[in-house]
Amino acid sequence: MSNNTKVTTPPAPQQGTVPAPLSQQHALLQIKDTRVWYTTITGEARVVDGVDVTINKNEVFGLAGESGCGKSTLVEGVLRLIKSPGHIKSGHVLFTYPKSVNGEDTTVDLFTMGLNEVRPLRWQHIAYVPQGAMNSLNPVMRIEDQIADAILEHSKTTKAKAMANVRQRLDMVGLPASVAHMYPHELSGGMKQRVTIASAITLRPELLIADEPTTALDVNVQKVILQELLDIRKQLNLTIVYVSHDMAVHAELADRMGIMYAGVMMEVGTTIQIFKDPLHPYTQGLIHSIPDIGKERKRVEGIPGLAPSPLAWPNGCRFHPRCPHVKDICKRVEPPLLEARPGRLVACHIYSELWDKAS
Amino acid sequence: MYYFRKVITYLFTIWGAFTLTFFLFRLLPGNPVEAWVATLQRQYSVSSTSIASTADYYKQQFGLNGPLGEQYVRYMYQVFIKGNLGPSFVNYPDPVQVLILRRLPWTIFLLGVSVLLSWFLGIIVGLFAGWFRESRLSSMITNVAIALSQIPAYLIALFLVLFLGYQLGIFPTRGAWDAQYPIGFNLPFILSALKHAILPVTSIVLVSVAGWILTTRSLIVTQLGEDYLNYAEAKGLKPWNIMRRYALRNIMLPQTTGLALTLGAIFNGQLLIELLFVYPGLGDLLNIAINDYDFNTVLGIILISILSVMTASLLIDLALPLIDPRIRTQIQAA
Repeated sequence: MSNNTKVTTPPAPQQGTVPAPLSQQHALLQIKDTRVWYTTITGEARVVDGVDVTINKNEVFGLAGESGCGKSTLVEGVLRLIKSPGHIKSGHVLFTYPKSVNGEDTTVDLFTMGLNEVRPLRWQHIAYVPQGAMNSLNPVMRIEDQIADAILEHSKTTKAKAMANVRQRLDMVGLPASVAHMYPHELSGGMKQRVTIASAITLRPELLIADEPTTALDVNVQKVILQELLDIRKQLNLTIVYVSHDMAVHAELADRMGIMYAGVMMEVGTTIQIFKDPLHPYTQGLIHSIPDIGKERKRVEGIPGLAPSPLAWPNGCRFHPRCPHVKDICKRVEPPLLEARPGRLVACHIYSELWDKAS
Repeated sequence: MYYFRKVITYLFTIWGAFTLTFFLFRLLPGNPVEAWVATLQRQYSVSSTSIASTADYYKQQFGLNGPLGEQYVRYMYQVFIKGNLGPSFVNYPDPVQVLILRRLPWTIFLLGVSVLLSWFLGIIVGLFAGWFRESRLSSMITNVAIALSQIPAYLIALFLVLFLGYQLGIFPTRGAWDAQYPIGFNLPFILSALKHAILPVTSIVLVSVAGWILTTRSLIVTQLGEDYLNYAEAKGLKPWNIMRRYALRNIMLPQTTGLALTLGAIFNGQLLIELLFVYPGLGDLLNIAINDYDFNTVLGIILISILSVMTASLLIDLALPLIDPRIRTQIQAA
């Protein structure tokens, strides 16, 4: 890193620069009241509808929730990859990255920046491992050219150096150098996924956002790739936001977790806390739906009911139609995401009452 | 194996198409020699016996004597073994190949220029129309292209002849060059040929460019939904580079195939355009030959068409593996 610090210097952003408050110095990404909606014929689909969460430096943050809860839309919004008819309705995403010139950190709001200002941050500071690695590679370009074009776009290195970088990164994800010359159709699904990971780490970004990178793969390959991701994270000091509906993957990978439901964050805490002592009834349902190998065999409990539609979320708490502990207030008032215990955030009236009494 | 199979298919298709045309034309009622002899008889009142021997002589010359099967075998032998297309009727006794070779350069020039020009322009305009598909200019271009693609080229040619040719008198409307200049590699002749080509080329380009714009645009629009374009954006590539290296590169495959097929078809001539501008190309010759029942010339021109269309598609089959890595792998695997 030391010899190419100059290369990774981003141009100073003109807009959206906010000094980071002292208390949040360890925060890398602060997602604030973020809404990403889709305009449909039947009205606005409020897919992401007011998410607040902070991702700290050097952690693996697991974003969990069932299909359709808005996980992918949230990260696509953060990455500014939302396409019409989707749009960012409101919110702020503050991203803090080291500015190598004077050693100070810069904080920018990704939502107020123009796309032209976001572009230099991409891959150098924020990289992305897409959901469908199968179709994310250009079918008519060699692997090395597809990885190198991002390097050459963001830095002034020579083509030879970029190619050497590509081979080194391929090696880090366990791919032979011969893959560099190949075309995407010559690779297996697991290999393509590794290529997208290798590509994402070429410029040593601070933040890696991985959107269900292993979902399409069989468990064996999945396990190997997750291990590689953890190794890479140690080597490169990465912060990873890992999106998956698979709680088992989060148990293995994540330091902290956020549980999303119906476009909002329901619970945030360390992975151990979430698994040992889930607070939100929805989280409890999720945890109980994982079969426990080695324990007494019993029927796995599911969560009754179906996930609601983003076109019309339930009033009050969005989980109340399926909640076993539903109370009167749940049907009327949406519970805020509050700190129920130190470091534990939960949006549930059971705990907000506790919190009210305490204060 | 792939190449061998392609070449066999190529040869077999040429034979089949050519045989079919041969019999189709022989099925037409009437016989060119008899029609001509009948005219002679009427005009010069020649005796029936000498007429009969004259007719026999010419029938033999044109390969029209004997039963149909015999004619076919004799003709195929002459064409494919001896490489002789037979004497032409319209320009007796010049052999058909001489006649065709005299006309061929004009058709290649006129249609080659038109096809290449419209392909090139169409892809560029279509690329931008697809890329900025939500802009008003793009939808305007698309609508104009849809309208243009449905207008026959000869109608546009008529308007061009009327306004630019006769009323304003800017461009020549007949022939391929001014007869005062000797044919050859000299500046006045080349300039004259170019000037004569402007109106016919414009009328063909205006119609075919619309087709290329529409296909390119729709190919680009489907590219926009591809994951690899979104991923390229996430990598922070400039839109210009994404457009060139990702979107355009992926549509070049179908568009190159289309170009090769269109180039193969140019020997068919744009019959009506050539007639309208009295352009001395193959289309004009075909028209004359059909009017005069000149089987040899018609078959010769059709053979050239079949050969060029088939050769173009053979060349695409052979060249596609070079353009598309996926096809390359399939061939290696087979």
